[in-house]
Amino acid sequence: MLESAELYFNVDHGYLEGLVRGCKASLLTQQDYINLVQCETLEDLKIHLQTTDYGNFLANQTNPLTVSKIDTEMRKKLCGEFDYFRNHSLEPLSTFFTYMTCSYMIDNVILLMNGALQKKSVKEILAKCHPLGRFTEMEAVNIAETTSDLFNAVLVETPLAPFFQDCMSENTLDELNIELLRNKLYKSYLEAFYKFCKNHGDVTAEIMCPILEFEADRRAFIITLNSFGTELSKEDRETLYPTCGKLHPEGLRLLAQVEDFDQMKRVADHYGVYKPLFEAVGGNGGKTLEDVFYEHEVQMNVLAFNRQFHYGVFYAYVKLKEQEMRNVVWIAECISQRHRTKINSYIPIL
Amino acid sequence: MGSMFRSEEVVLVQLFLPTAAAYACVSQLGELGLVEFRDLNESVSAFQRRFTVDIRRCEELEKTFTFLEEQVRRAGLALPPPEGRLPAPPPRDLLRIQEETERLAQELRDVQGNHQALRTQLHQLQLHSAVLQQNHGPPPAAAHTDGPSSERTPLLPPRQGPHQDLRVNFVAGAVEPRKAAALERLLWRACRGFLIASFREADRQLEDPLTGEPVTWMTFLISYWGEQIGQKIRKITDCFHCYIFPFLEEEAARHGTLQQLQQQSQELQEVLRETEGFLSQVLGQVQQLLPRGLVQVHKMKAVYLALNQCSVSSTHKCLVAEAWCATQDLPALQQALRESSSEAGVSAVAHRISSRDMPPTLIRTNRFTASFQSIVDAYGVGCYQEVNPAPYTIITFPFLFAVMFGDVGHGLLMFLFALAMVLAENRPAVRTAQNEIWQTFFGGRYLLLLMGLFSIYTGFIYNECFSRATTIFPSGWSVAAMANQSGWSDAFLSHHPLLTLDPNVTGVFLGPYPFGIDPLVPSLFCVPGTGDSQHLPGWACHHHQVWSLATNHLSFLNSFKMKMSVILGVTHMAFGVLLGVFNHVHFRQGHRLLLETMPELIFLLGLFGYLVFLVIYKWLCVTVTHAASAPSILIHFINMFLFSSSPTNQPLYSGQEVVQHALVVLALAMVPVLLLGTPLYLLHRWQRSRHSPRPAVGQQDNNEDKARCVDSSDAYEKGWSSDEEKARCPGGEEEAEFVASEVLMHQAIHTIEFCLGCISNTASYLRLWALSLAHAQLSEVLWAMVMRVGLRMCGEVGVVSVVLVLVFAAFAVMTVAILLVMEGLSAFLHALRLHWVEFQNKFYAGTGYKLSPFTFAIQDE
Repeated sequence: MLESAELYFNVDHGYLEGLVRGCKASLLTQQDYINLVQCETLEDLKIHLQTTDYGNFLANQTNPLTVSKIDTEMRKKLCGEFDYFRNHSLEPLSTFFTYMTCSYMIDNVILLMNGALQKKSVKEILAKCHPLGRFTEMEAVNIAETTSDLFNAVLVETPLAPFFQDCMSENTLDELNIELLRNKLYKSYLEAFYKFCKNHGDVTAEIMCPILEFEADRRAFIITLNSFGTELSKEDRETLYPTCGKLHPEGLRLLAQVEDFDQMKRVADHYGVYKPLFEAVGGNGGKTLEDVFYEHEVQMNVLAFNRQFHYGVFYAYVKLKEQEMRNVVWIAECISQRHRTKINSYIPIL
Repeated sequence: MGSMFRSEEVVLVQLFLPTAAAYACVSQLGELGLVEFRDLNESVSAFQRRFTVDIRRCEELEKTFTFLEEQVRRAGLALPPPEGRLPAPPPRDLLRIQEETERLAQELRDVQGNHQALRTQLHQLQLHSAVLQQNHGPPPAAAHTDGPSSERTPLLPPRQGPHQDLRVNFVAGAVEPRKAAALERLLWRACRGFLIASFREADRQLEDPLTGEPVTWMTFLISYWGEQIGQKIRKITDCFHCYIFPFLEEEAARHGTLQQLQQQSQELQEVLRETEGFLSQVLGQVQQLLPRGLVQVHKMKAVYLALNQCSVSSTHKCLVAEAWCATQDLPALQQALRESSSEAGVSAVAHRISSRDMPPTLIRTNRFTASFQSIVDAYGVGCYQEVNPAPYTIITFPFLFAVMFGDVGHGLLMFLFALAMVLAENRPAVRTAQNEIWQTFFGGRYLLLLMGLFSIYTGFIYNECFSRATTIFPSGWSVAAMANQSGWSDAFLSHHPLLTLDPNVTGVFLGPYPFGIDPLVPSLFCVPGTGDSQHLPGWACHHHQVWSLATNHLSFLNSFKMKMSVILGVTHMAFGVLLGVFNHVHFRQGHRLLLETMPELIFLLGLFGYLVFLVIYKWLCVTVTHAASAPSILIHFINMFLFSSSPTNQPLYSGQEVVQHALVVLALAMVPVLLLGTPLYLLHRWQRSRHSPRPAVGQQDNNEDKARCVDSSDAYEKGWSSDEEKARCPGGEEEAEFVASEVLMHQAIHTIEFCLGCISNTASYLRLWALSLAHAQLSEVLWAMVMRVGLRMCGEVGVVSVVLVLVFAAFAVMTVAILLVMEGLSAFLHALRLHWVEFQNKFYAGTGYKLSPFTFAIQDE
């Protein structure tokens, strides 16, 4: 398996790789987007989506059509595809899939805990949870009062358990602690995923490591950006940075010290990859940092399809599909709110 | 049948449909299936077209129908096929149908919601009683007093003190079985030690109210101390979607509840039955409405889709449609338009317009010719009015197949199979069978019938029936005469296993066999066993036994079949070239007759036709008396090309060399004619018309169309792309730009293809020989290895006969599987190739497209 993945890859994973490439080919094209943007109502949007690979996925929805219905149905479709992949996968690809779902599980757990804190009903929150990150014990999250409670009672059997080692504390779960928990979980998750890919070697490592490095660095930047003007201390901030990115270790240390966007930009300027990204921010079209990151991510994911015999295609496909869903939702929102001036600022998938 | 020879005349008609009657007209046309609409709004996107709103309404309705259909199917009911003719409903009826279906769907939804709710309620009641019926471990009351387990009693602090008032509480409920283990673990982890949970499978399975699947639920009883733990437990059970029921501590109270529950569930079942009755009533209504509605709405949608292809006239008073229609159908079209528009008090008009596009091809078939036409269409649909190879295929295809498949027995089996299908073709069960393989066979039943028939014929020619020869007539050879003449003694026979029959000896060869191949063909045959004089008369009587032992029957058959293949091939190809004449005559292309067909024919017949002549001449004129010095055709043919002669090879007839030289020179002289003739002629014509352009165009207004048609089909014939064709004849005012090099290039390709093709295609027909040889040998092997082994067994009659049955079964199965199906398929494929490549490339372009009329036939089915 190590030296000649090309030889054996297809035996175990060839079918799924073929499938995922077929799915990727069915992503909306530039022409589709041009057509979607021209739609006047959501009904038009639906008709247009019918001609694409989405097919009749909205056929059973009762009128009136809303953006959230479209979103839910699209998620369901992606989830169906993903479950199919997952159910037909063999080791180590199935572990890879588990890692992929972990990020959604983290989001769901945090979402539920926040909901419990605000005394919202579980059902209401559940509807908002991402279907890819669902697991049985999820709804029991709100019985936990401290993180160790959470770990011991609820999450010890889930794939999330290993990520908890770094963030066990007896602090009660208030809003700040939950946010810290999320970032710590994410940090250990990314590091573990990175390690998994690295150990797997082969093309998978060559494709996935840069993607995960970028993901880690993006988180570091976003955490920094969000921590401006909050009570988060600089030392605490540094503990939240995932350490598997290109910024590690020098960049992260510098990043921990920055106090505003310009300083952050100066840190990014040291890195060839991030310099152009930060320069694109606020340029023509008023792009935000997030948009720029998304564009870069899309680019990396599209490039992942240029190599064969690796798992990165699955990751890339799900991410691309998510981006596509965000785009469609964006367009649908613009249509339904009659906010057409911004309709073109979706992220094109090349 | 007359219409089979070339496709029917099809014209472009323009239909003016007054807005009021457009729907009725198109709907009527859909019923008749006469015309193919052209899309006049290609540039308009789907949702900007005129009738998109109506189509959307139809789709809404279809959605409702799908829902209803789903419900009917889920209830296990079948939908009856729609009865009678159901025309597309008038547009105003759409509203009525929509209302009706909506009402029905709503009613169904309500009833079903009710039904569902009742079932859920019942389910819950049943679960509750199941939980109560379960006897969980020691009675909880006892557990409370005695403690969870008696061993631990010493370890527990005395029951006095602060803990005394702490009561044990109970939570009872049911959980889905797959979640039970996780629930148990989570409970344990979350409330470590403060509870005792007992899980049990329910006694009987309960139907899931949603899916109807039987599920064995896990019931549980949790006893716990303390209120906080209780809350936690409740949260956890909530998150696992468990059903929680009140659990009374006293046995008697529980018993009472149980009885109450049972009574309730009985009442509920009563209600449920009534609801079900009502539901089936509603479903019955749906069953009546649905088939008709489905067909009607499908038709309606089809009509609107067709109307979407029409453009709106400038006055907005009518829709303008363009459609292809067979000339023969024009009166019917007019009639249909008149009838359907007169109701609205307006009149729809259709009139012919001229078109620059090549019209679609329409060849009407019946159930006999359909399969043959489909063989041709699978290669390519013919150009408009091109000669259609299908009518000739009706005979040549089964014949060429049979040449490769010649065996009376196998042919008879195939014929009977096809005959059975033909006789049963009107039975609905046969017609509607869904099996794809069966449909393939059934679709080609007439083809199979002819193939079987011809195979019987060629089987008689080859004199083979399951590889055995038949002796209908007495053989032309006599072994007895030979034996008497040469005085074969016992000693001679014992030393010579191979004996020769010499036809020169009088009395040995009496004359040719009346029909087909002589069962005793050999002049050289084997004697079975050692020579025994008693056997001698035996051979004479049983010729056919000896025939199969002849060592040279194969070389005789090979020579015969090879020559036959060449003769058939050359004839077939020459026929193909001749069919080109009809194309040229029809399209008024006299120059091609002279500059293409004639040289092609001379080339083909001069070289390979002459070969055929040599073969037949030798058959007829070289007799057995000259057998030793018989001329070799092969050497002659080679010498013909080399312009040499070999002294050992005797000429077939006097003056042979002169004739051969003349033929070769003539054939080679045809190559430059073929190569340059057409391009030079076209160049000449173009230059002439350029010098005097006006009169030529002005004179023949009427002929222009035809000339254009000529040129375009000319282009199609050569397989030009449409661009080049347009470059050559854009039609209309200006004369085409003539690109000499391109014309020359295409003609050069055509010439090379034809000349080389003559050789390679002739060689290709040798597959007839190869396949028939393979078939004969395979069936021979099957006979020798299976059947003969069985027949030669010695032993008790009873045992042998039983074994023989098995042997015959094996023989029969292998005959059908290998010889009929596999060999049949391979012979079919080769026959197909001979038609598509060797025959059709001589004259058939096949670059047209079919007329696909707008019809409701699919919706009616």
